[in-house]
Amino acid sequence: MVLPEQLPLTFIDQTSTAVLKDLLRERNPLFWQHLVKRSEKPGDFRDLLLLSTLRRRATALSLEDSRVKADIRVAMVGGYSLFPLQELVEHFLVVSGFNPTLFIGSYDNYVSEMTDPGSDLHAFAPQVVIVIPANRRSKYLGRISDPPSLAREQALADASQLLAICTELHERTRAEILLANFLPPAGFDPGPYRVRTAGSDWTFRKLVNLELGLNAPPCVHICDLEFLAFRRGGLAVFDDRAWFESKQPCSADFLVDIAQEITSVVKSLKSGPKKVLVVDLDNTLWGGVIGDDGIEGIELGDTSPRGEAFKSFQKYILSLHDRGVLLAVCSKNDYERAIEPFHDHPEMVLRLEHFVSFKANWEPKSDNIRAIAADLGLGLDSVVFVDDNPAEIDLVRQLAEEVTAIHLGPDPATFVRRLEDSRLFEPHSITEDDARRTDQYRQEGARAALTASATDITACLAAFNMTAEIRPFRRVDVPRIAQLINKSNQFNLTTRRRTEAEVSALIGDPDIVAFSIRLADHYGDYGLIAVVIARIAAAGVLDIDTWLMSCRVLKRQVEEFTMNELVRLAAARSCHQIHGIYLPTAKNSMVRDLYPQLGFQLASAAEAKVDYVLDVASYQPRSTMISITEPL
Amino acid sequence: MTSADVITALQRIFDDVLLTPVTLTHDLSANDVEEWDSLVHISLVVAVEKEFNIKFRVGEVETTGNIGQFAELISRRLKGH
Repeated sequence: MVLPEQLPLTFIDQTSTAVLKDLLRERNPLFWQHLVKRSEKPGDFRDLLLLSTLRRRATALSLEDSRVKADIRVAMVGGYSLFPLQELVEHFLVVSGFNPTLFIGSYDNYVSEMTDPGSDLHAFAPQVVIVIPANRRSKYLGRISDPPSLAREQALADASQLLAICTELHERTRAEILLANFLPPAGFDPGPYRVRTAGSDWTFRKLVNLELGLNAPPCVHICDLEFLAFRRGGLAVFDDRAWFESKQPCSADFLVDIAQEITSVVKSLKSGPKKVLVVDLDNTLWGGVIGDDGIEGIELGDTSPRGEAFKSFQKYILSLHDRGVLLAVCSKNDYERAIEPFHDHPEMVLRLEHFVSFKANWEPKSDNIRAIAADLGLGLDSVVFVDDNPAEIDLVRQLAEEVTAIHLGPDPATFVRRLEDSRLFEPHSITEDDARRTDQYRQEGARAALTASATDITACLAAFNMTAEIRPFRRVDVPRIAQLINKSNQFNLTTRRRTEAEVSALIGDPDIVAFSIRLADHYGDYGLIAVVIARIAAAGVLDIDTWLMSCRVLKRQVEEFTMNELVRLAAARSCHQIHGIYLPTAKNSMVRDLYPQLGFQLASAAEAKVDYVLDVASYQPRSTMISITEPL
Repeated sequence: MTSADVITALQRIFDDVLLTPVTLTHDLSANDVEEWDSLVHISLVVAVEKEFNIKFRVGEVETTGNIGQFAELISRRLKGH
């Protein structure tokens, strides 16, 4: 067997149970390090109980644990038997660096334990109280056919009462209260009708949960069982036999989810989220190596699934930035090459202004990360580093131990998930929550305003704050242009296909007028969505060879916007007439009347081809709600 | 699967769950094994259900008093009755 000392740190999470058992038999203090790592990604309930058993054995053997642990007094009360949940909670707390003292309330006695100042719970002097109220009692007491307002009233009253009990307990004990919300049932009854009434358990418990979450005071932290159950899947959450036999709240595996969530919330009470995210570049923010592949060779954006995945990872990172996380780059690269995509690549979501520090050099990453933290005046323990390269992750883990290094792995589709699952950037302090609440409030207001005026399409589009960027064809856009040319079927006047080479050949051709359009609005960036290729066929006549658009932006006035630009370019090239043709296919009937709608006159019509002509001088520019942005 | 076969298969599960190996016999019960507390018991039942792909009925595991009876219960469930 490989000796644990020789295992690279990165691979500790694959420590088998056998290795843990051996370490324990040898009384090797490395046991703890491996146990902590192994417990980060527990398998099922059985796996976790085994880890917990090993942990208890190690404690019984007084195996030296060099970790510094924080004492914490945790009480658990609820409408269930809390064994073995307490065991799991204790395990997660210990491996998370706590030295917990636990108090477990008696079965289904939580209300009097919480409200009676003379109860054992009060005498225990808890710092944290975990409350798991009885799901079975969260029921609407009226008839299922009652008007929804009655069930809503009861939901608010039930939630308020529970929150009041929690708040009073907090005021007497100063303990932080962690309140589990209710599980909507996963059974079919009463069928689809469940959502048409507020009286079904399904709807009613969701209403109660909403009221709990929206009205909880700062001392009450919601342990969101409804969300956790959704995440795991309802059928895997409930276990009737476990209830009948031993008054369990749920299936054994769901206990693991609950214990993990409880621990995560307790941890968040003691330490804030991380402050800095340091990212690698090649194969982390884009596919490929900028130094080798160049700006046109890297994979990024909507031309390929991989490119899309990288772009989506960038969007997630941007959302962290918008939430207040500081971003920095740490990459083994030539600086000049490394910054190129940030300036010039049209699909880059992240731009230089989003970063507080940009280290692209050939120094060890651990040195660069130390420098970044020092520049910001922050400790290394507030830094998270992500990289696709396991070797770099390993080095940082060894040379800058306090940094949390996350290995992203080989598949960009999983990057967002990996970073999310680390749960290192979840906001939780009250001030941050307040700020977010303000944002949400604003968004809500904006959305409501949108709906109110949705009948007036122009006003609605105005509120979208659409901006567009028009560019002549250029090399870096060729893959996306070719993709649109070869993929678009519906909004496509001529359905003429072209290879990338043929598209490239158009660049610089003096007789060609070709441009692409990118669109963004306040909901997001749509990327490059429209392509026009026209040719000066004879003196003063511009022939539209290709006009196509992504259907995602249909009816957003991009059609009119494009036409305005086409006419402007025609005039600039001294063309007095524009020819347009419509080549009907099985799929492009949506653009059959595009030209007449834009003011073209019918010149000739055959089954396979309809010709239109427009007198440039007679064209009245259409007004649109799209504003033009200057290209970067 | 006879209950002897089941005990052989059970041995693997117990080896996995227990730190100190115990040789399973027909008459062995939780009282004979120091490590076999209520927590380990839950772990064993969950493991057995998964490994044998069976589902015990409500209340029946606690009616078994030793490994032999437990193995008989497992073989009954394996036969589907």
